[in-house]
Amino acid sequence: MKISVDYPRCEGHGLCADQAPDIFSLDDDAELTYRFEGTDVPGERQPAARAAVNACPVAALRVLS
Amino acid sequence: MTAPRPVLIVGESLAGTTAARHLRTLGHTGPVTLIGAEEHGAYSRPPLSKVVLKDPSADQTLGLALDGLDADIIRSPAVAADTRRRTVTTADGRRIDYDALIVATGAEARRLAAPGQRGELVLRTLEDARLLRARLADAGSALVLGAGFLGMEVASACAARGIPVTVVDTDRPLERILGDHLSAEITARAAAHGIRFVQATGFATLTGDPVGGVALPDGTELTADLVVTCAGEVPCVGWLTGTGLAGRLGVGIDDACATTVPGVFAAGDVTYLRGHGTQPDRRAPFWSNAVAQARTAAASALGLPPPGSAQDDYFWTEVAGLTVKIVGRLPLLGEPSTVQGSVADGRALLTWSHADGTSTAVAYGLRKPVAALRALAATSLPPAP
Repeated sequence: MKISVDYPRCEGHGLCADQAPDIFSLDDDAELTYRFEGTDVPGERQPAARAAVNACPVAALRVLS
Repeated sequence: MTAPRPVLIVGESLAGTTAARHLRTLGHTGPVTLIGAEEHGAYSRPPLSKVVLKDPSADQTLGLALDGLDADIIRSPAVAADTRRRTVTTADGRRIDYDALIVATGAEARRLAAPGQRGELVLRTLEDARLLRARLADAGSALVLGAGFLGMEVASACAARGIPVTVVDTDRPLERILGDHLSAEITARAAAHGIRFVQATGFATLTGDPVGGVALPDGTELTADLVVTCAGEVPCVGWLTGTGLAGRLGVGIDDACATTVPGVFAAGDVTYLRGHGTQPDRRAPFWSNAVAQARTAAASALGLPPPGSAQDDYFWTEVAGLTVKIVGRLPLLGEPSTVQGSVADGRALLTWSHADGTSTAVAYGLRKPVAALRALAATSLPPAP
């Protein structure tokens, strides 16, 4: 499972990091870092990653199957 | 691992899909059924009043994924519930049994048109947004009834297209929510971007059939090519008639998202938080509350302790290109307790300390993550006694 991040659409709310703080993090200016950029999300982290995708209020995160 | 009791979620919404996902995360292996009223399934609504009004290609990017849920999806609205027999009936005649029920049917736009009066525009669903976007394409003037979050976002979309727009309300823009300090700044900013504001002395009514204007209590009538009602929302509780679950404010829940009926829980815009002590009943129909309540409702439906607070008061809006993000209790009365930066320059961090010892933090025109605002609200000192 891969996740795509639409960085221009991201508004830096940080609700993804609430759901999966080890996968998504934001600095003080709300710039997003995604830990698995370009690679697969490991199986055991997928539920948290999906919860983070679901929680994004601007639909900037998508699960690519 | 919890016992495999069948859980029924009514409402294919952010709250509904989040609850379904959390049931599985908590190890629930029993049946999960999700009933949705909209044919294209769950989608994200905050972009409807922003990017969707600008860009048709955004329509395809809003869906909330259901993969990995192992849920039975029924796309037909719920029309009745029997909480004694523990069943829900759908419009297409199905009757679904449940052991635990999670109510997540959300809310719909409040409409102001008289019975039979056609052509009222609102903004709540993807269809509403598509229709409004099409109408914006050839409108020469616009009127927005309601100067809350949604009304000001719609007015901003009009202004961004160069459409002269007038907003009508009894209170100044965002005043009921953000208080007079920020409202005064926002009103000035909106005016500088071509958003005119008319303060009405009482309820305005829609005129024309189809709707083409607004009549104010003083007899003034305003007309425009486009008239949009942004007058708040009404919880979707018609299907709960006779269950005792719902009132005017929606479905009352406690800190565990439990209702007054055994086996029934609720989350999201359909709910209100039942008051206790000095706290009154309170609706808080915001995105992050839907997520927090859905997680709590899922845990409670399985008989597990809540994962955290069922309240997460975070909201944001955009006025004429300026983003405002807020963590904490509303409204914001009087002057802020602390200010970093300058509101007039459109870049400030502010806090308001409330009498109950809590604080509200506001990022005005600054890109700040919710975690930073929560930290600011938590470290802010209460007012001196």
